[in-house]
Amino acid sequence: MTLDPQLILDSLPLIAQGLGITLKLLFYSSLFGIALAVITLLMRISGRWYLSWPAQAYIYFFRGTPILVQIFIIYYGLPQFGFIRNSILWPILREPFTCCVIALGLNSGAYVSEILRGGVLGVDKGLTEAGKALGLSSPQRFIYITAPIAIRLSLPAYSNEFISTLKATALASTVTLMDVTGVARTLVSQTYAPYEIFIAAAILYLAFAWISYVALAWLEARASRYVKKGN
Amino acid sequence: MSGTQPVIVLDRVCKNFGAFRALTNVSLSVSKGEKLVVCGPSGSGKSTMIRCINRLEEHDGGRIIVNGHELTKDSRNIDAVRREVGMVFQNFNLFPHLTVIKNLMLAPRLVRHKNKDEARAVAMKYLERVRIPNQADKYPSQLSGGQQQRVAIARALCMNPEIMLFDEPTSALDPEMIAEVLDVMTDLAREGMTMVCVTHEMGFARSVADKIVFMDAGEIVEAATPEAFFTKPQTERARQFLSQILAH
Amino acid sequence: MADLAAWGDDFLLGTLVVLKVFVVALIMAVIFGLIGAAARLSRNRIVSGLAKVYVVTFRGAPEIIILLIFYFGIAVSLTALVQYFDPATKFVDIPPFWAGSTAIGLIVGAYMTETFRGAFLGIDHGQVESAYALGLSKFQTFFHVRVPQMWRLALPNFGNHMLSIMKDTALISVIGLEEITFVAQMATSVTRQPFTMYMTVALIYLAITTLITFGVAALEKYANRHLRGAR
Repeated sequence: MTLDPQLILDSLPLIAQGLGITLKLLFYSSLFGIALAVITLLMRISGRWYLSWPAQAYIYFFRGTPILVQIFIIYYGLPQFGFIRNSILWPILREPFTCCVIALGLNSGAYVSEILRGGVLGVDKGLTEAGKALGLSSPQRFIYITAPIAIRLSLPAYSNEFISTLKATALASTVTLMDVTGVARTLVSQTYAPYEIFIAAAILYLAFAWISYVALAWLEARASRYVKKGN
Repeated sequence: MSGTQPVIVLDRVCKNFGAFRALTNVSLSVSKGEKLVVCGPSGSGKSTMIRCINRLEEHDGGRIIVNGHELTKDSRNIDAVRREVGMVFQNFNLFPHLTVIKNLMLAPRLVRHKNKDEARAVAMKYLERVRIPNQADKYPSQLSGGQQQRVAIARALCMNPEIMLFDEPTSALDPEMIAEVLDVMTDLAREGMTMVCVTHEMGFARSVADKIVFMDAGEIVEAATPEAFFTKPQTERARQFLSQILAH
Repeated sequence: MADLAAWGDDFLLGTLVVLKVFVVALIMAVIFGLIGAAARLSRNRIVSGLAKVYVVTFRGAPEIIILLIFYFGIAVSLTALVQYFDPATKFVDIPPFWAGSTAIGLIVGAYMTETFRGAFLGIDHGQVESAYALGLSKFQTFFHVRVPQMWRLALPNFGNHMLSIMKDTALISVIGLEEITFVAQMATSVTRQPFTMYMTVALIYLAITTLITFGVAALEKYANRHLRGAR
């Protein structure tokens, strides 16, 4: 079995046709995930059981089940119910793309919410006390003291989560989307050169994961400007 | 008081960390039963010197002979020296995952191949010596710093060493716990153990040491009896050091 | 619900397949992780470089791509190999069970490599020194001082990796292994109740991941028993 490097190079531009869908999936689901994460976090730290309990149930479900199954439940599963097929949401839930964004966003939101919570818990209690002593209200303390520090503390873990979401977009190919993986699978069924074509796809993902990693590391360095460097 | 045959000999020992010269031509000899206290400002090479004696650091030049074994790359000699030399660290370094008694039994069982009962008997004997037999089944994190350091001394004694090295054994302790550790060390000295102690406890040095070695910048600047060192230090560096440390 | 009951046996068998893949992949992941960690810590630049490449690729490329490379790639290679000896062979099928378990084992092994390496480096060097000072050999120090402390440090991440393995098993349905997601696909095509079927899969996964979480929590409690009363 020999590997044909030329074929890897030749298939790169073909597979790159799927990059648009992959990146759109990544962008929308990350955005959706962050929004969900913030809402969930606020519900969890609200101190009211009727808010924190549903938030915890949501996190528990989406962290405890495979993303593939979550995508299937939303894309294949929801149309089982007549009221969904007749609702105004149907045009959204009929499309594999939007279903994937919803599933990936829900999944990522559960993880990011836990990451943010870790960041909030990592903020020195003395700082919020200082805020109290200065007479800041509870929302003021959260917005001006806790949140900026928590975001900085959360960035390294978020960087990993972002790359996980990137990898998870590859599952969209299972519901007929022509993302990078979808295009690669189609090409393989035509050419039957699985090594070369899947390796070419893997290279695209690795390159983008690396770019994301560097970009987030830069963001982290910027956010940590005021932190005293160790020697 | 001190015997004649030297059990530790350092002959023009040198040690570099990269470009930094940690030890320069350090020569020293310790006789059987002798108590040596090493003092000096921080960064003067005291710890490096004591760590070379059981080869936690490798020296780059000169010779080190401990109990007749020269320390070279030969691992048999290193093993022999480590079996015969006990060491107590500044940060205790007790094994956190083992209870006190198991900390004490580990090396006798693995290195001396003692069976469980023998090892336990020896461990209890030394726990009584350091006056904490009732803590045997606790984990190190449940003890105070002073108790942990006494356990560390007992752990070293369980190997029945002929020489004990102490690397700033009281520096990590709260003031009220220093005395209990120094008491155990004083007992040990009275029983005739050969000891090399790096310490800033000048009261202990004065009452226990046979010889005081003062180091600065990787060199031995002065070596004298406590009497001579504390009353008539020969060098300006030693005088300065003493005035700083005794001012408190 | 009657429809679901009819598929009860298939779901049960599918669950057993999932558990089997989990056990095999976990064993492989631990082995790859230990080898990887030893290689990463090696003083030999080539060895540690190779281990680094392993970690970066298997953590950065989507799980499904790696799985497909394994499944189709190995099948193509084996076919070529067998045809060399017996030109009459049309196609060699490789069992999806082993292709899937190995792929998951390698992926999670890359994560374990970093966990084990971190745990190994996390042990205070004074611990090793005092073991040497007591006369313990390198070998004895490794097994009596390093390993017992290492696994305590590795345990929290190790638990997360076990959950990853469990959730990754759902991917194997893509290459046709008859585990629960695959059973749900079959059942859906007959009963037309996709939501019921995929939700059943999700709940089975949720039950297993919950058990794993409790198991790891109990292990952590055991591993940290010596820290009781620590100040």
